[in-house]
Amino acid sequence: MDFLLEVLSDALGALFGFGSELRRILGLTLVVSLSATVLGVVAGVPLGTWIALGRSRVRSAWLVAVNIGMGVPPVLAGLALLLVLWDAGPLGGLGLLFTPAAMVAAQTLLAIPIAAGVTAGAIKGLPRSAGEQLEALRLSGLQRGRLVLVEVWPGVVAAVAAAFGRVVSEVGAVLIVGGNIVGETRVLTTAIVQETRQSNFGDALALGIVLILVAAAVNGFLTRMQLKGANRD
Amino acid sequence: MTERFDLRFPEDGSVLSIENLTLESSERLVVFGPNGAGKSTMLRLLAGTLAGGPRIEASYLPQRPYFFRGSAGYNMGLGLSAEQASRARSIADRLAVGELLGYEASSLSGGEAQRVAIARALARPEPFVLLDEPLSAQDEQDRMRVAAVVIEEIGDRGAVIVTHDREAAAVLADRMAVLINGRLVQEGEVGEVFSLPATDEVAAAVGIGNVIDGVVGGVDGSLVALETGGLTIWGLGGPGPGSRARAVFGAEAVTLFRGRDGLAGSARNRWVGTVTEVRDLGRLVEVIIDAGVRIAALVTPGSQEVLQLHPGAGVTATVKAAAVRVNPA
Repeated sequence: MDFLLEVLSDALGALFGFGSELRRILGLTLVVSLSATVLGVVAGVPLGTWIALGRSRVRSAWLVAVNIGMGVPPVLAGLALLLVLWDAGPLGGLGLLFTPAAMVAAQTLLAIPIAAGVTAGAIKGLPRSAGEQLEALRLSGLQRGRLVLVEVWPGVVAAVAAAFGRVVSEVGAVLIVGGNIVGETRVLTTAIVQETRQSNFGDALALGIVLILVAAAVNGFLTRMQLKGANRD
Repeated sequence: MTERFDLRFPEDGSVLSIENLTLESSERLVVFGPNGAGKSTMLRLLAGTLAGGPRIEASYLPQRPYFFRGSAGYNMGLGLSAEQASRARSIADRLAVGELLGYEASSLSGGEAQRVAIARALARPEPFVLLDEPLSAQDEQDRMRVAAVVIEEIGDRGAVIVTHDREAAAVLADRMAVLINGRLVQEGEVGEVFSLPATDEVAAAVGIGNVIDGVVGGVDGSLVALETGGLTIWGLGGPGPGSRARAVFGAEAVTLFRGRDGLAGSARNRWVGTVTEVRDLGRLVEVIIDAGVRIAALVTPGSQEVLQLHPGAGVTATVKAAAVRVNPA
């Protein structure tokens, strides 16, 4: 019991200290995970919409790919990207490895399937009469997509929340392609791993508390958006 | 313009199998049948929302119109050009939902929503119109008014209208087809299908009735007189003198008297004619009378025997005017 209290008091001390290092880690975490969420949503939501709005073998194949993608372990995605960005790899010339850009790329790859899968699920959940009506209206693909996305607005917000949740809590991929370099590519999750390994439990817990606050703030905002869209009988 | 289609669903035709369905431009074909007969499947094949059909150039009103988030007016404008949207608004006005277009679509009643969807479907430019149960959500007092607007706005386009409602069928049809278990079992002029069902199956599904077209001759209070084939038929209805109209009444509403001078009691309609055909339907007998136009009557086997209703017999048929509806045609 004494041990836990001691860790907690260390953590609070670290939080009130809120040094420049912690500020930098928090800033990078927000930039990387929000960028990856935005990119993942921008690519994933239209992909999920396209998958859900038609029946063809190609679309079914994409749905399978998306469902697999949702379950891919982040370390594996990180490893794959590492191989591509490695000096001798196909995109080695870009020099992106161990930069925040590589971290954003890795997390975007993780966010796309989640955003697409949740969106497709929300659209597929519309009643059959909605699909029948959509056909009867003879709209263009773009108009149909816009109409259903507005219709399943809370589902789209859920897709954003799920994508953000996956990237902000993720540690494996950013660790591999970012390298957890102090002041450059260290984010909250990798920092927690680092501090824990060095038995700096108070600092690790402080970072954890900040991570939870970030997640709570973003999800609180998204929940408000969701409720706004849900006021329909 | 005449178009012919073979419709089959699924590929083995187990749900629906129709050969040589004929659609004419400027004709309203009503497909009548019990629930589960395959009517909606047929319409969806024609509309192309179900794969495997011909997907004709048609505006389509689904059985359960779906409204997306937004106002009724926003929903009504979906898929329409500015010009078509303004036409939809004028149809909505005629259907008494023009004032509701600003409200959230989900706040409309079933009947109001259906009328908005009808306005949208009829404002579309395609040469054919496919309507799935267009009057199903309408209250008794609104049905005929909505039907009249539907008929007028279809105009000279071809239409396929699906319904399981006898009255809707009688009012909306130029030609009528009866669909049972995915097969077309009878097709013909609407009065003929009602008064001369081809099989017991059709008789059971359609019921026996009289649908007679004519022109309104005079008006007497709430009654109008429909003139047809030298006969006057009095009934309840709205069409004004000179307009084309259609009288609808059940065969069970017709009372028969033997002889051509029967004492017809208080009934306003009293027609003299000759029995042309007698059909035994089991518990009832259908008697077809030629009184200038064909009239179908249902009597019990007992009355048929007492009145000696056989082909060639002279009879007087009477119907209370209150049992006859005269609708615009």
